[in-house]
Amino acid sequence: MRLARARVCILALLGGWLALAACNTKRGETIVVGSKNFPEQALLGEILAQRIEARTHLRVERRFYLAGSYICQQALLAGRIDTYVEYTGTALTAILHDPVESDSGDVFKRVKQEYASRFQFEVMPSLGFNNTFAIVIRGEDARRLHIGTLTEAARYSSQWRAAFGYEFMERPDGYPGLARVYGLKFAAPPRILDLGLLYRALLDKQVDLVAGNSTDGLLAARDLVILQDDKHYFPPYEAVPIVREDILDRYPEVRDAIDELAGKISNAEMQKMNYAVAGEGRDTSEVAREFLREKGLD
Amino acid sequence: MSGAPIPGAIGETIIEFRDVGYRLPDGQALLGSINLSVRRGETLVLLGRSGAGKTTALRLINRLADPSEGEVLVEGRPTRDWDPIALRRHIGYVIQDTGLFPHYTVEQNVSLVPRLAGWPELEIRERVLSLLALVGLDPGIFLKRYPHELSGGQRQRVGVARALAADPPIVLMDEPFGALDPLTRAEIRGEFHALQKRLQKTIVIVTHDTSEALLLGNRIALMEGSGLKGLYTPQEFLQSKEPVAAAYAAQFHALADFERGR
Amino acid sequence: MNVTQFFSEHSSEILQATLEHVWLVGATMLLAVAVGVPLGIVVARKPWLSKPILGGANVAETIPSLALLGFLLPIPWLGDRADRLAITALTLYALLPIIRNTAAGITGVDPAVREAARGMGLTPRQILFQVELPLSISTILAGVRVATVLTIGIATIAAAVGAGGLGEFIFRGLAMVNDSLILAGAIPAAILALGADFLLSIMERVLRPAR
Repeated sequence: MRLARARVCILALLGGWLALAACNTKRGETIVVGSKNFPEQALLGEILAQRIEARTHLRVERRFYLAGSYICQQALLAGRIDTYVEYTGTALTAILHDPVESDSGDVFKRVKQEYASRFQFEVMPSLGFNNTFAIVIRGEDARRLHIGTLTEAARYSSQWRAAFGYEFMERPDGYPGLARVYGLKFAAPPRILDLGLLYRALLDKQVDLVAGNSTDGLLAARDLVILQDDKHYFPPYEAVPIVREDILDRYPEVRDAIDELAGKISNAEMQKMNYAVAGEGRDTSEVAREFLREKGLD
Repeated sequence: MSGAPIPGAIGETIIEFRDVGYRLPDGQALLGSINLSVRRGETLVLLGRSGAGKTTALRLINRLADPSEGEVLVEGRPTRDWDPIALRRHIGYVIQDTGLFPHYTVEQNVSLVPRLAGWPELEIRERVLSLLALVGLDPGIFLKRYPHELSGGQRQRVGVARALAADPPIVLMDEPFGALDPLTRAEIRGEFHALQKRLQKTIVIVTHDTSEALLLGNRIALMEGSGLKGLYTPQEFLQSKEPVAAAYAAQFHALADFERGR
Repeated sequence: MNVTQFFSEHSSEILQATLEHVWLVGATMLLAVAVGVPLGIVVARKPWLSKPILGGANVAETIPSLALLGFLLPIPWLGDRADRLAITALTLYALLPIIRNTAAGITGVDPAVREAARGMGLTPRQILFQVELPLSISTILAGVRVATVLTIGIATIAAAVGAGGLGEFIFRGLAMVNDSLILAGAIPAAILALGADFLLSIMERVLRPAR
């Protein structure tokens, strides 16, 4: 009877789908390393991956250029990736939804604790650099006026023009708060420029002050100076590898591999690597390999 | 208690309409103040034009609709007091379009009610075979056929078999042969007439066909304009002076004259 | 590296993503059928409900998928796990064809069949399961087929909110300007859609009751 046939069809479909879903487990001894979708993240992901490949017998699968923190977090939760590098400040506000803090030790401790209790993720020690916002001026201005901190620069702000990216202008912990804390008053309202054009405008003297990231490649390659955030306005964004606890339990050698990266990348070194990839167009895995070799970690 | 039929002798009232009225939600009256008794074992024909309320009256008997005024009694109890499911299983129902389930074979269609009633499989099988034979269908050929593989006349026969399957004491038929061509119609009508005596059931038939009414009915209830015009035996009907009845009779005679070649 | 080379070298990852995708779609369709078919039956039984129910499903359908995913993201329990979020949004999308086809299938049952079924003493439940649903199953399946193909497509967008699946390849490929990555997501997704459409259309034909 038709009905019997219908039942068979439906059961077959269900069975097929369940069987497929059950197959949804990774092949044997594989670790999946993820990264967000900008060159620095791909570099860090590649460094993690190569380290694990060098130090353990595990196969590493790369899942880079995931579009943002939320996606990486979801992928980590679902086990689709096993590790990626996050920034402590981002983890604190965007993922844990905790209020902003500026003491880097506190932030690290809090993130480590909550990641363990809420998600069973292990926050590994910082890789050594702080990719926070950088307020940048030309080197010649810094030397001429003898300024090195934002407080000192604030005195000259009324004579300067500034340019920022759209997000920095809009974020409450971006320009509005910065202007308030340091008493910045520019000659005219800051221009909003595409991120890629900010440094160009600065170097061409169309503007005198911009906000970038402290590990931007151009900072290593041009005569640009980061003004020190002496009032600690910006929250810390230390780069920390996040790893699923169950992976560390299953493969303890992964912990050792990542531990040895702690503190090995300085801000300047990150800038240099970023410039090599974004500025010189070199291959990401090559740059990562070179770095590891220099550090004796390959 | 619903569901248990009250056994009784031939001739006593088995279905009764008491001042029955039926009104549509918008107020239009399809039936007005109908009083009627159907005796056990008789075949009553509801004769009338389209829109006269015959089908409505029929559907009040197996509670496919409820009267707006008055009450309809079946086996001495108002339909409102019957459990509708039990009532309907107590009554066979044949409709013009047959309403055979297209996804069931002939066998599955006919055996539907006995199966619902939980008859043993063997009894069901025997019943289906004997019913098919009764309505003139060779079980060997027709058991496994689907309705779309049957002719109109064959479908109608299956419809009758289905209605009789659980051996209900009452059978309602709504224009049962109306969708058939005249030849098939006459043929099936004749066969059904022969069946009637053997069945010994109370049958209520709705039709607008005079010859059908005269052939099949023990009594004819003439309906016109949502009211009951009168109750006649076939003889009385043909000789009636009542205008509507006379009109029907005249039409019948005219056809008979035509057939006799006058 | 050309596309075929890429596919063979990354076959296990592509398979992995395909399985994730199948899981998302399967869970969605199960939910959509479990919710949509009963709603379709309700609409068929009570026509006055068709406006609110079909209207609601229509609204969900009209919201652009990415926007819908974005709306649902801040909701506490839903937004915490991307697959919950994605399956919820996908189910809302899949509902309209299923509800509509179920209602159409049931109301399309021959009135004479329904009248005979009632007159013979079938309970409403028996009429639903023995008459109306079996006679509508082909129409309902047609709705399921449309919904499935739709879901396979929209599930690629769900990768934008972290649900994984084949869409992730596409988004990563877009960010890296890498055609092979994009195709690694797009081609299996297209094959899945075509395959599901084919399979279900066969089922539809097999189950269609003869007229």
